[in-house]
Amino acid sequence: MFRSNNIVARIFQRQICTPAPGTSVHCARRFYENLVPSFTIYDVECPDHSFRKFTDDGQYLISFSRNNQDLIVYRPTWLSFSCKEEDCDAHDLPSKARRFESFFTQLYSVSLASCNELICKDFFLYMDSNQYGIFATSTIPSQDAPATGGAIPGFPSIEKMTFHLLRLEDGVILDEKVFHNDFVNLPHNMGVFLYDDLLAIVSLRYQTVHILQIRDSGNLVDVRAIGAYCHEDDELFLNSNAQCMAFPDKSKLHQLPQNHVQNGLHHSQPNLEESFLSGIKQRLLSFIFRRIWNEEKDRTLRVQCLKKKFYFHFQDYVDLIIWKVQFLDRHHLLIKFGSVEGVLLHVSRNADQHPAFFAVYNMETTEIVAFYQNSAEDLYHLFEQYCDHFHSTSRNSLYMNFISSHSNNIHALEQLRSIKNKATSSSQFVKKMLGSLPFNCQSQSPSPYFDQSLFRFDEKLISATDRHRPSTDHPIKFILRRPPCSLKFKIKLGPEAGSVDGRTRKFSSFLFHPFLPLALSFQYTSFSQPSVVNIHFRR
Amino acid sequence: MMISGGIGGKQPSASSSKALTASGGGTSSWAPTTSLSASGKRIQREMSELNMDPPPDCSAGPKGDNLYHWVATIIGPQGTPYEGGIYFLDITFPSDYPFKPPKVVFKTRIYHCNVDTAGNLIIEILNDSWSPALTITKVLLAIRSIFTNPNPSDKPLIPGIARLYLADREKHDELAAEWTRRFAK
Repeated sequence: MFRSNNIVARIFQRQICTPAPGTSVHCARRFYENLVPSFTIYDVECPDHSFRKFTDDGQYLISFSRNNQDLIVYRPTWLSFSCKEEDCDAHDLPSKARRFESFFTQLYSVSLASCNELICKDFFLYMDSNQYGIFATSTIPSQDAPATGGAIPGFPSIEKMTFHLLRLEDGVILDEKVFHNDFVNLPHNMGVFLYDDLLAIVSLRYQTVHILQIRDSGNLVDVRAIGAYCHEDDELFLNSNAQCMAFPDKSKLHQLPQNHVQNGLHHSQPNLEESFLSGIKQRLLSFIFRRIWNEEKDRTLRVQCLKKKFYFHFQDYVDLIIWKVQFLDRHHLLIKFGSVEGVLLHVSRNADQHPAFFAVYNMETTEIVAFYQNSAEDLYHLFEQYCDHFHSTSRNSLYMNFISSHSNNIHALEQLRSIKNKATSSSQFVKKMLGSLPFNCQSQSPSPYFDQSLFRFDEKLISATDRHRPSTDHPIKFILRRPPCSLKFKIKLGPEAGSVDGRTRKFSSFLFHPFLPLALSFQYTSFSQPSVVNIHFRR
Repeated sequence: MMISGGIGGKQPSASSSKALTASGGGTSSWAPTTSLSASGKRIQREMSELNMDPPPDCSAGPKGDNLYHWVATIIGPQGTPYEGGIYFLDITFPSDYPFKPPKVVFKTRIYHCNVDTAGNLIIEILNDSWSPALTITKVLLAIRSIFTNPNPSDKPLIPGIARLYLADREKHDELAAEWTRRFAK
């Protein structure tokens, strides 16, 4: 069938043709091929903030003050100006329109930091359904903190870390959750995952996954803590039982309070922690044990098998620590386990060499459902074919379903296959790909310009994943995926190519509006200060 | 088997335990070489004996390449409140084994009158009744037997549980099963 790329022709076509069943959204999205952010206002004068993100519903632009004390929220608005002359398209934009303020209206500014806490500017999560934002403030981590009270040695400690729940509509702080002397990996939301109204926070120092629920009332409620214990009331159960065990006689019951403090729980608890396997480790080890046990039916072979595959590595399994967590659905967590060294390296930079394992854990039944090493081919196949199931963010809005992945996009799959074919070692490739699991929460922009069925672009320079990238002086080209496969628009970071000095290394980052042809680009010479802010939009 | 690749690049254990005896444990510093030959050989022998004829619901093996430090697993026997549980135990052999008994500690929480709140297990044959003629297989069988038949009368470590076991068996079993469900799955 004849298809025109002319927008008027497309609108006519939309009027007269009914799209094939189930493709109406795809057809509508093709209009983005015509509506592109091809016009750029370079080096726009704008407030000196660090801009974090457009919320996924496009309602807010989140930014933090340069001193990491305040949250400033903007509403993206569309540029409007009047032009007296005829043929105003030919004219340059009036200088009044070329300002940050003509695209964004400040809604409010809230002070989040207090005492010696500062906003973690790489952390922000958004709860679509209630328009709640989750922010974090923390004191500066101390590297050589003593590992007390069951803490894992080697991790830095943050004296105080606060998670703030904010209603973005008016900037009211609804609730807070404070962690003391703990360590949560906050950059790129790594240590925290939001699914629907459930929030998983990974305490690396105390090896606990805290599951919180965000109530409609605006409260953060502790649901359970997975780590030392699995069920939410295990600790309570144990403590109430400990009393019965120690004081079986009713006649002795009156002594309880004193003894309780002296030689009771407070003193014996650390010892208990040390000698017994933690709840999650018991589940993990018994899962591995059972799998080997059931695999081999012959009794003597089974013992051999267990000796080799289980007992020999027993201590290594015991030493594994929870590294990262994501929700797969409301009940299942994908937990990455690794060695302490591996995790510490990972905090600073990627380290795929260290052994890592993935476990699927059911919070309700407290069972490990599956367990894989990070070189497992079968997990990779699941990842290749069902990648979207790992991207289990709460997808309320329709356009969130269009984030391209190799499971929903033929072009992305082709790209993955070509990398796979080029890879020298298949196990290295599998490790590298599985290295991205568990996914960071809300780390991808739903912007249609990153839809790989619409546009092709160099993923080294720009992609839906929110990251700082090395910047080049060349413009970033967005090329139509469909014929005529022509260059549709460019994102340029500077007015002319090969500008001032090419020697300093520059970094860039981008914020795309989830559905409007509007984007911000930033170019830095150092991470602390943006040198240039550009606005890209459709004129 | 995806976990067989191992952690930290250690060699598979099949050869490692043999290599240990062959080399006389030259790389290890945890026991003098003289006692290794005696106690080490004995432990080696008991290991092959265990491998040939493992007792039901039990298995054990050295942790890493340390012949004196073992882990044992006991599957909660059917028909007991411990059914469905997987119990891990640490077994440490003294350097003068078999003249001294091995030390056995539960790594999995258990509701049992012969296991104290830190996981220490006291049974006759691991204390006063120890004899050098006993082997690890016999020890495992003895541990397994306390799952089916707790010993509440002879110096129980937790008198509270022992008393409940004698007075109200049903309630005891109920609690033990609850512990199994919570901590030993």
